[in-house]
Parts: sequence; structure tokens; C-alpha cells
Amino acid sequence: MPESRSHTRTETHASTELQVEHSWRVVVLNDPVNLMSYVVMVFKKVLGFDEAKARKHMLEVHEQGRSVVWVGLRETAEAHVFSLQQWHLTAVLEPDEAR
Amino acid sequence: MKRVEVKLSLPVVAPLLDVIRELSTELDKTLAAPQALHDLDQDFRGAWIGELLEGQNQDQRSLLSLFDAKFFTEGVVAFDETNAEPIVRACTAFRLQLRERRLKALSDEALETGDIDMAGLDEPVRKAFTCYLFLATIQELIIQHLDSSIIGP
Repeated sequence: MPESRSHTRTETHASTELQVEHSWRVVVLNDPVNLMSYVVMVFKKVLGFDEAKARKHMLEVHEQGRSVVWVGLRETAEAHVFSLQQWHLTAVLEPDEAR
Repeated sequence: MKRVEVKLSLPVVAPLLDVIRELSTELDKTLAAPQALHDLDQDFRGAWIGELLEGQNQDQRSLLSLFDAKFFTEGVVAFDETNAEPIVRACTAFRLQLRERRLKALSDEALETGDIDMAGLDEPVRKAFTCYLFLATIQELIIQHLDSSIIGP
């Protein structure tokens, strides 16, 4: 019995670690309406990007249809998605399967 | 406080305000950019959309308040740190709604490049497209002339 209990504790601990490490992507999708200058401004304002990084992601959205603009914990990812949506960008939350 | 005043042509802009007011009514209970929120539970999703809608409506009121008595006597509108952000956002909401409801006849490519023969458009579409360009011009003015101390990181 003690052995078994110990084993269960280890499994629970491992499972908790997996949950904590799971991260989420904030993805911005292209739309034909928003001006390039507008998207750059929103990325700078909402995500704190500098001009070069904001332009790089804007061009990725424009040319590839989507750009992963942030990866990290779900709560912060949700906050970013909400802020981007307040600026009427099409932003979605995706599990980061690469990690 | 940095402030930009713009003199607009009353005969050109006044007819567009009817379109903008109609758009505002349409967007009263609808998000301009419908969002996929599949990963949120239903209660949270409702609160999320409600808050987005409330912000969208406040932004629209800021834009509509530009066109007050002073505008109708002098043709002047003013942007500053208090109204710049909501107005830029409201312009986007109205442009999205224009595309969705009034500019379906135009391709996305034509909307992006602006390469459109205005003379070939029916009157309602021409008016909607003029409004679409007018709102983009307001956005560009604000983004270019109000620096990062007002609208930026």
C-alpha cells in the first residue's frame, strides 16, 4: 500500500506539471479591411512591439493570412486576444502544440 | 495637449453621416468583427462579447460626437488624446460593417487596393464606398499626426 500511494502522488505531480507548462498561442488572422498602418499601431499598442517587430507580424498576417503574435500562459493569452478584438482584429486562441 | 483640427467639406461629408448613423444602429447589438470564441465556456463567452459590444458602442458615440454644431457651422472636427483611440476603433468597426452589408459587390482585392471605378458604381454602393474611404482617411490622419504620446505603446 505505501508503495502504491507513493506512485499515485508521483503521477499527480507529473500531471500538474504538464498542465502548468501547457501554453497558448494568440493568432491574428488577415482581413481585407484593416489598414496596414492600423494593424502596426495595434500590435505596438496592445503587445508592446517595436516598429520593426510590429511590421514583421503585420506583413505575415497580410501575406500568409495569419501570424502567431504571442505564446504563453492562457490567462495572459486571453487578455491579449480580448484587447486585439477590442481593436476589431480577428484574433483567436490556440493551444500551442509545439511545446 | 496635442490636438489636430481638420476642416472637412460639408457638402461632401454631411451625406455620409446618414450612412454612419445607420451603421451605428446596425452595430448596436452586433460585433463588427464576429470572433471565434470556441475555447471559452458559455457564461464567460457571453460576458466577453457583452464587454466588447459595450466598448464598441462607446467608441461609436465618440466618433458621432465629432459631428456636432461646430462641425455644421465651421466644418471642423478635432482629434486629441481623449478621442483619438475610440475614433480610430470606431472607424474600423464602421468599415467592417460597410464591407459586410453594403460593399459585397466589390471584391476584397478591390477594397484593399482601392482600385475601383467610382463612376461605374450604383449610387448606394458609391456612397458606401465614399464613406469607407472617408473613414480610412480619418484613421490615417490620426495615426500619422498624433504621435505615440497619444496613440501608441
